[in-house]
Amino acid sequence: MLEYDILIVGAGGAGLYAALWASQNPNLKVGVMTKVYPTRSHTGAAEGGINAALGNVAPDNPEKHAFDTVKGSDYLADQDAVEIMTQLGPQIIYDIEHRGVPFSRLEDGRIAQRPFGGASFPRTCYAADRTGLVILHTLFDQALKQGVEFLNEWFLLNIIHNGERVLGVTAWDIRNGGVHFIKAKAVILATGGHARMYWNRTSNALGNTGDGTAAVLRAGLPLKDMEFVQFHPTGLRKTGILITEGARGEGGYLINKDGERFMKKYAPEKMELAPRDIVARSIEREILEGRGCGPEGDYICLDLRHLGEKKLMERLPQTVEHARVYEGVDPVKEPIPIRPTAHYSMGGIDTDKYGQTEIKGLYAAGEAACISVHGANRLGGNSLLDILVFGKIAAEHAAEYVAGVEHLPTEGSEYVKKEEEFIKSLMNKEANENLSKLRKEMGDIMASKVGIFREEKPMVEALNKIRELKERAQKGLAVVDTSKKFNVNLIQTLEFLNLLDLAEVTALCAIERKESRGAHYRLDYPQRDDENFLKHSIVRKNEDGSLSHGWKEVVITKWQPQERKY
Amino acid sequence: MNQEKAVLKIYRYNPEVDKEPYYREYEVPVDKAQTLLDALFYIQENLDPSLSFRFFCRSAVCGSCAMKVNGISRLACKTPFKNLVENSQGRPIVVEPINFLPVIKDLVVDHDPAFNSLKELGTWLEPKKPIPEKEYRVPPEEVKQYEHPTNCILCFACYGSCEAVMDDPKYAGPYAFSRVYRYVLDSRNDEEHKKEMVKKAMEVGDIWSCVQCQKCIYVCPKGVRPAEDIQNVRGIAAEYGFKDYPGVKKLQHFVDWIYATGQINRLALPEEVYGVDPTPLINKFRERGAEVWEVPKPLPGLLEFRDLILEVMKEKKPHLDIDFHHVRKIDKRVEEVFKADVCTKVTQHFEEKKESFFQRFWKKLGEFFGTS
Repeated sequence: MLEYDILIVGAGGAGLYAALWASQNPNLKVGVMTKVYPTRSHTGAAEGGINAALGNVAPDNPEKHAFDTVKGSDYLADQDAVEIMTQLGPQIIYDIEHRGVPFSRLEDGRIAQRPFGGASFPRTCYAADRTGLVILHTLFDQALKQGVEFLNEWFLLNIIHNGERVLGVTAWDIRNGGVHFIKAKAVILATGGHARMYWNRTSNALGNTGDGTAAVLRAGLPLKDMEFVQFHPTGLRKTGILITEGARGEGGYLINKDGERFMKKYAPEKMELAPRDIVARSIEREILEGRGCGPEGDYICLDLRHLGEKKLMERLPQTVEHARVYEGVDPVKEPIPIRPTAHYSMGGIDTDKYGQTEIKGLYAAGEAACISVHGANRLGGNSLLDILVFGKIAAEHAAEYVAGVEHLPTEGSEYVKKEEEFIKSLMNKEANENLSKLRKEMGDIMASKVGIFREEKPMVEALNKIRELKERAQKGLAVVDTSKKFNVNLIQTLEFLNLLDLAEVTALCAIERKESRGAHYRLDYPQRDDENFLKHSIVRKNEDGSLSHGWKEVVITKWQPQERKY
Repeated sequence: MNQEKAVLKIYRYNPEVDKEPYYREYEVPVDKAQTLLDALFYIQENLDPSLSFRFFCRSAVCGSCAMKVNGISRLACKTPFKNLVENSQGRPIVVEPINFLPVIKDLVVDHDPAFNSLKELGTWLEPKKPIPEKEYRVPPEEVKQYEHPTNCILCFACYGSCEAVMDDPKYAGPYAFSRVYRYVLDSRNDEEHKKEMVKKAMEVGDIWSCVQCQKCIYVCPKGVRPAEDIQNVRGIAAEYGFKDYPGVKKLQHFVDWIYATGQINRLALPEEVYGVDPTPLINKFRERGAEVWEVPKPLPGLLEFRDLILEVMKEKKPHLDIDFHHVRKIDKRVEEVFKADVCTKVTQHFEEKKESFFQRFWKKLGEFFGTS
């Protein structure tokens, strides 16, 4: 049986950084389990940068960074956690710089910083437009240096706990097939976000399916603020793949079917460069009101033609390539069909500011966790900082915790047996449903009814439909490939079941929050309502499978809620 | 609606049931797939859910989906399907796992050996001491130098196309040496660690096995240029003073013999690089009636030529200096063979042939030192 002091699940930025800090103590046995290989993780797709108040370009300090973050969160972030993050920011940047991250530089050799949405100063450190990639790869190289032990291509099934302490996890060995119990005194979940519940309307990787978050829900533990999902205004129509904000920054137009630059109606001054949520809502409104482009009227055009081929190839080569390869459209000659795309999960596993859940030894960090530092809306450049700061804090806290406890006596065979039976039941079921069809239905329901514009009735319909989908899946969704080795069909089915559980929670929380705040915009309650809803929503699953919804106070230290104006 | 269909001929192998690999053909409607990855999903969702392949980001940053497409390593997610169909001109599109890594199932290969090479070579940063309180100062020009190698996503497309891997299983692979180069260039890295890395690149990674076929550059989906990085690491090995390696000796041979005689001496190579006595080889040539010069015939104008070389070397700052001790030995042999003083003999005819001589050698020199 595999046995660790600390088992980290997920090997993106949060997981790898946690592993580096946890394995500093050579007496601790630390393992990192990932369903892919570490360098495949979605941290690598982060482009823009990482925020920290270094003050290299303009005078800045962590307190200002904290205020911008709190304001950006529409006052739903926990201010004590935000202060921790912004205070540690510079130190974390210096640490990863000392480990080798190749940041872009100023002429004098210091780290360059650029302005980003919602920040009062140029605060975003970057490495060209591939900041996440170089951070991920640098941390991986450092993990090899420190001899971190990896379990590559293992899939998390369930978290095992006794109501007080965590005992370990059950997992499927993708390469060889087979269920294992992995014993651990502490488990850190760094399993990423779950915006794949919007299936084809997301910028996320195919595997961002909230496996850790769903496992926490199944384990009877609370999820927090699950209604908050950030939509990026410009995703490609067919795939949701991101077209950078830089395309509009360079002067691109957003055009409806009448050829109108419609942003003049919604943000006459800033036009296409208004804040993300406003642009996303404007695009969606044009489509809903019948001014979308194409035969189905289901998209808006991002027109870059007037910029000319030379400028496009110089400034936006990646955009040109993405449009050509993934949309089949040449931006030099044609407008790019776009639609807002689900981008980031603000909500997730409910933890305190140390990443702890209510079960001793069970931690979460990164996009999987909701601490919460992003509240109702995350600022660009804050997610890379979040994963590192709280990856480190969780690791240090866990290392201290495991030093003082013994493994609980358990062999795990009963857990393994239960999982084996479950997987067998999936394989033995009569297949009446098609995975890709169900998945598409889920994505369509979520995008059309629990997307950018929300309203009671459609959301209730969505909740009911998601529950119907769950029933249909329960009855008729079978794993048709019964082989053991590298069974992609099995993994995709398990991922879909995770997404369905989380979609249900998201719809429920969105119905319960009868106000508009940050990314959660309700047509029937267009105002923020601090009196009733300045609080975190909390959901847990009961033993009978039903969901309980409740609320939790927001931590306010220095900044009383004000109207969020830019 | 376009009903055009394309045939994909896919490598299948499930070790649980198949004795050996086989190929199966699938028909995919061309308009159902933007990329090859979409076409594979179409097959998985509509025709055969048991088909195994890796995928994750579907936008060319994660490196999961490298496979061999009509014989060439590619990322499935970055291969436009329509173009592929057009280029295949009605023939089936052949999709196979990339070469040289053990197949786990269908298109899925074992990436462990490739990742392990990085660990063996030590491709990481050991922060140079003293570690500053804030960030190290790094000039922007330096960061630009490692922009290419830091684009690498470890998809191993280069590994699967590598001629050196085919011949030398010990050879670490193009991507690994790009990473060595990236960390050698980094001024924040500890000097001893850099040397250690370059040493391992030679001893553990067999970096001298690269034949400079440039396929790695051709197949890289991210614009990394491993073959060039390999040349640079080799040069750096020489610069670090690793004289005892065949590759470095060969470089030294090139530098010294070209300086001394204007050309390399293939007959002296085995002896100088591997310590093998060339006499049997020379005899074999002579037996067959070949005219063999133990040293190249001295060229007219050699002294001028030597000045030129020194000038170029000063300008280009190559990784290796001329070993003048060695040059004197070469001179001596030339004098013995041609029974003449090397300097006077070769300057005689120089004036007449000045122009063409200059042109020819400037060009050759440029090619030879152009890599640094």
